Amino acid sequence: MPELALRHVTKLFGDTVAVDDLSLDIKNGEFVCLLGPSGCGKTTTLRMIAGFETVDRGSILIDGEDITAMPPQARDIGLVFQHYALFPHMTVAQNVGYGLRMRRLPAARIAKEVAAALDLVRLGELAMRYPSQLSGGQQQRVALARALAIKPRLLLMDEPLSNLDAKLRDDMRAEIRRVQRQVGITAIFVTHDQSEAFGLADRIAIMTQGRLRQMAEPAAIYEAPANATVGAFIGQVNALKGRVVSLDGECARLGLETGLEITGTGRELRPGAAATSIVKQERIQLSREQPRGDNVFPCRIEAQTYLGGTINYLCRLRQETVTVAVPNNRAFERFDTGEAAFASWSKADCHIFVA
Amino acid sequence: MKRVATAAGWTYLTAVYVFVIGPVVFVAAESVNSAKAFPSAFAGVTLHWYQAILAHPEFFSAAWTSTLIAAVSSAVATAAAFTAGYALRRRGRQESAVLSTLLASPLLVPQIVISLAMLQFAGLFGLGAGFASLIAVHTIHGLPFALRLVLTGFARFNFSLEDASFSLGAGRVTTWREVTLPLLRPNLIAGFTFCFILSFVNLPISLFLTDAQTTTLPLVMFAYIESRIDPMLAAVATVVVVVAGIATLVLERYLKIRLVE
Repeated sequence: MPELALRHVTKLFGDTVAVDDLSLDIKNGEFVCLLGPSGCGKTTTLRMIAGFETVDRGSILIDGEDITAMPPQARDIGLVFQHYALFPHMTVAQNVGYGLRMRRLPAARIAKEVAAALDLVRLGELAMRYPSQLSGGQQQRVALARALAIKPRLLLMDEPLSNLDAKLRDDMRAEIRRVQRQVGITAIFVTHDQSEAFGLADRIAIMTQGRLRQMAEPAAIYEAPANATVGAFIGQVNALKGRVVSLDGECARLGLETGLEITGTGRELRPGAAATSIVKQERIQLSREQPRGDNVFPCRIEAQTYLGGTINYLCRLRQETVTVAVPNNRAFERFDTGEAAFASWSKADCHIFVA
Repeated sequence: MKRVATAAGWTYLTAVYVFVIGPVVFVAAESVNSAKAFPSAFAGVTLHWYQAILAHPEFFSAAWTSTLIAAVSSAVATAAAFTAGYALRRRGRQESAVLSTLLASPLLVPQIVISLAMLQFAGLFGLGAGFASLIAVHTIHGLPFALRLVLTGFARFNFSLEDASFSLGAGRVTTWREVTLPLLRPNLIAGFTFCFILSFVNLPISLFLTDAQTTTLPLVMFAYIESRIDPMLAAVATVVVVVAGIATLVLERYLKIRLVE
């Protein structure tokens, strides 16, 4: 039985559909990231699971028990908020012990559990401080300890890293994953940051416009996007629009308006149908020698951007422009702006979707 | 140039303090003036006028009535301001703007008119002048001020703290008791104190609502002036100022609340 199940969950704000017929299962102990652009309904979904928003249609089940109508305080769900939401008038220990106090545990037991929760996030020595005396990273650890102290059935996190600076964010990300594994709790993590989702999740659920677009392991999301929405959203991509010229099983040829024909793979395509091909920027090779392969086109380097780890070349192939990300490494050729070259990519890296 | 600007600044500052504090100092000085008329040139120091108050029990009973009215009406107004402020913050921006203007509307009506209107309104419920009507009118009068102070508190209040409390197993009442009220405490106390002082010194809103048993201190002072004018009134006023001043200081010192910022 899945730990958490959403069944046709729908949420309306006036005439706007915030979450549209969302169904998904999350397994016991799994770490799932809800990933999507802002306004895609991921936070609303989280708030419905927590009980802060009512569900207009559909149901939410934990361990098979329907909790759709249950008030938030009865759900036993731990929450970590974007802005920490620590009680400023309570010490770290009082914050962490709050949920236990609400459960009317004896004081000695609370003290023991608080110490254990703070040890888990390695903040034992700060128990008597107030939140305002802590750094952002420390506050987020306290928030994590507070959420876990009640031994919840589920841990929900709403963009908990977005207020931290880049270096700290990486540390905190590792910390969250370590703690989640150690406790073995089922976790849902909402984020709009792809690298966060890929770095954390067992499975990623991609949401746009209130709908679930794909739910799969990170590699499957990246290598085999289920549709054009996911394909365009994940990674840095080039999208080229055209019509399907010919089909051979899952292998399709797409004719672009500029006369360019490219080969890729796709399902549910029909000849003549409008379609979009999506190829990730780092899956295109640039070379001076003409290579052999599925898609090989002469091109001209129009511009380049030095990004440190990679160099992005803006290449013109006939009337189309594509961006090619080349690792900044001696093993790869360097090009000058204005230089002629060949751009090539494999059909396996070129996903074609019905437009 | 700079020196001129500085001089102008000091002049302005001095003028402000002279006009704000001047009358209070003048009243306090008159209260110990041994001259018989009020106001008059300083003749000598005496505490006679303070002693004279003791011969007027109506001042004491009115002060007690005023204290009761101020305490009850401020408590009700502050509680109402809290619930109103809470609802306003949880609602849409436009709706809130309309509602908060509506709640502030008693400020726009001349106070003497409110007093008369309340007399008629209370009549609808079979109430006349008296304690209940006085409390009602003082509550209405204090509400806009309490609401302003409470709303500034809510403007800084992070409602995800309440969500955090719910998720940790607390119900709504517990959450208010443990999180919301403690964090808004300075604003609630400031709102209460503000209402209390406004109520205690207000004359016109009580004008038509007092009866033989219940009358307020400002009204008794007013009645006293109508019959004669001597420095005893300055003594009464000074007592009021000193008591209010001590209350404010205590609040600021021990509850770390700034009424005057």
